[in-house]
Amino acid sequence: MTTRKFRVTVDGETLEVEVEELASPDRPLAGQPTLGQAGGAVSAAWGPPPPPGPLQPSGGSPRPGQPAPAGRPAAGNGEKVTSPLPGTVVSIAVAPGQTVKTGSVLLVIEAMKMQNEIASPRDGKVLEVAVSQGATVGAGDLLLTLE
Amino acid sequence: MIGDKLAALRRRREEVLAGGGPDRTEKQHAKGKLTARERLDVLFDPGTFSETQTFVSHRCRDFGMDAETAPGEGVVTGYGLVDGRPVYAFAQDFTVMGGALGEMHAAKICRVMDLARAAGAPFVGLNDSGGARIQEGVDALNGYGNIFYRNTISSGVIPQISAILGPCAGGAVYSPALTDFIFMVEGSSQMFITGPQVIKSVTGEEVSMEDLGGAATHNRTSGVAHFYAGSDQECLAMIRRLLSYLPSNNVDDPPPGPFSDDPGRTDEALREVVPADTSQGYDVRDVILPILDSGDFFESQAWWAENMVTGFGRLGGRSVGIIANQVKHLAGSIDINASDKASRFIRFCDAFNLPLLTLVDTPGYLPGAAQEYGGIIRHGAKLLYAYSEATVPKIQLILRKAYGGSYLAMCARALGADIALAWPTAEIAVMGAAGAVEVIFREDIKAAADPKAARAARIAEYQERFSNPYAAAARGFVDAVIDPAETRPELIKAFAALATKRESRPAKKHGNFPV
Repeated sequence: MTTRKFRVTVDGETLEVEVEELASPDRPLAGQPTLGQAGGAVSAAWGPPPPPGPLQPSGGSPRPGQPAPAGRPAAGNGEKVTSPLPGTVVSIAVAPGQTVKTGSVLLVIEAMKMQNEIASPRDGKVLEVAVSQGATVGAGDLLLTLE
Repeated sequence: MIGDKLAALRRRREEVLAGGGPDRTEKQHAKGKLTARERLDVLFDPGTFSETQTFVSHRCRDFGMDAETAPGEGVVTGYGLVDGRPVYAFAQDFTVMGGALGEMHAAKICRVMDLARAAGAPFVGLNDSGGARIQEGVDALNGYGNIFYRNTISSGVIPQISAILGPCAGGAVYSPALTDFIFMVEGSSQMFITGPQVIKSVTGEEVSMEDLGGAATHNRTSGVAHFYAGSDQECLAMIRRLLSYLPSNNVDDPPPGPFSDDPGRTDEALREVVPADTSQGYDVRDVILPILDSGDFFESQAWWAENMVTGFGRLGGRSVGIIANQVKHLAGSIDINASDKASRFIRFCDAFNLPLLTLVDTPGYLPGAAQEYGGIIRHGAKLLYAYSEATVPKIQLILRKAYGGSYLAMCARALGADIALAWPTAEIAVMGAAGAVEVIFREDIKAAADPKAARAARIAEYQERFSNPYAAAARGFVDAVIDPAETRPELIKAFAALATKRESRPAKKHGNFPV
């Protein structure tokens, strides 16, 4: 428990107040043990420790690999094709400027010990390839941009 | 005397049949949409539709509604035949007050829902409505509640099908959501809880109606819809097709389908579909289509969670529900959406006596922090629950990989598969060879003079031992290893042998499905 003193002025009247700072799971107190470090008893007392890293946006499960809905206008600088799953780029079948058809293979990502073909979500022209052969990609990482 | 009365009847009928009048009908047509009655004519066998409660009218006196007439209350309800079998339906009439739902509009729908359940006949809702009739206030709201309640009580008793053929916003979306299947039409259907204007004022996001809740969005992104049609006509034809696989109710059997395809037909091309190299993908539909009668496969949610394929087909004239891992997408791994999609499909099939055929080729549950944070544990549990709970005939066919928890989750013997079959290409193991060797022989490999060679040798040894269907067959977890060419005749024989299967469960109010 940390108690600190403050002097506050309200309507010209000066008061001295004593403030006790309380801990919360989101904001451990300075000088206090961080949750999850206090001999294991902390999680039981406080419930789950804060999730490591940024939380997923609430209100929906992650949807890797969902193609953009048909009919959605291309974003300002082309439609982005992202990786549906984490893996390694083993081959790239297209080059910038090349035209592609819906369903044609753009590149192959090795993941889960499988060669996963990434197909074009629509007809178009490859604007930019954002990865190189052998690159490691995460789910949602940009692979290439279609015009 | 009767002549006068008949003339009066004719006049009253014509008033209702005119709906919102020629101008609004023309507007409906200009949007590429059919009117409510035209839709019912397409849905039902010609000349079989009979209307119920034609002359119902509202009793609202507020906001000038006393002067307002709404022919048919903005909704047509009734019954007719689809392929000779009774089906009940409503069709909201957008030409009458924008198809808005008021107290009596809802009462007409509830009446026909009650009849459908009492008769044990499928129920089809054709939605095309601007929403609640605001002038009627809480009476309109209560109307929605009465519909939701009936959707829920009828769930698992009669098949309930919704088509979204116009706007469907706010509370109105929840009646379709409670039904078994949702059909949407490209360009004319929209479903959302809050529309683009509200979203803009609350969160500042700008999104068009079609992007927010159109047919493509709900078929690809949200998984709310099951079927995607190009027009009203196509949509109604698809509903008729879906009904052809389904029984009328939960105590009925699915109708025998027309079939001219030889039950003994073998297909040697099936031996070549699954690549020998286990790192290569293929389209599991290339396995499904040649097995089924006349290659007739009706896929549900074809554009959402594509790593799991679900749909209806027939084997020797009997309807079956098919669940299959799609190696072409996410390596065929099971993720949150795939679990969700398959488990709801399995529960539908079980409720309506459709035997289940499960085709297995999956490397496992999809790894990743996003999946764990999204709750893959609770979502993945749905699949285990749905298969264990199902009492219909269940056949598992392992095509290639069946590893660990995902082997169990795809209708393993332990979860109640009546017959488990495998192709010679099957690999049934607790995990893949490379991963297993890392765990079992870590120390040995580290200590070896040439760790790389030692690892390769151990992997080869593990593959020899377990990367085949025979270890599982030795324990009886697989009943037969079959030549892929003979898959169709083997499945037809197995389903025929299981046709009279009866299995009971402990009496309970209901289980606690991990939703």
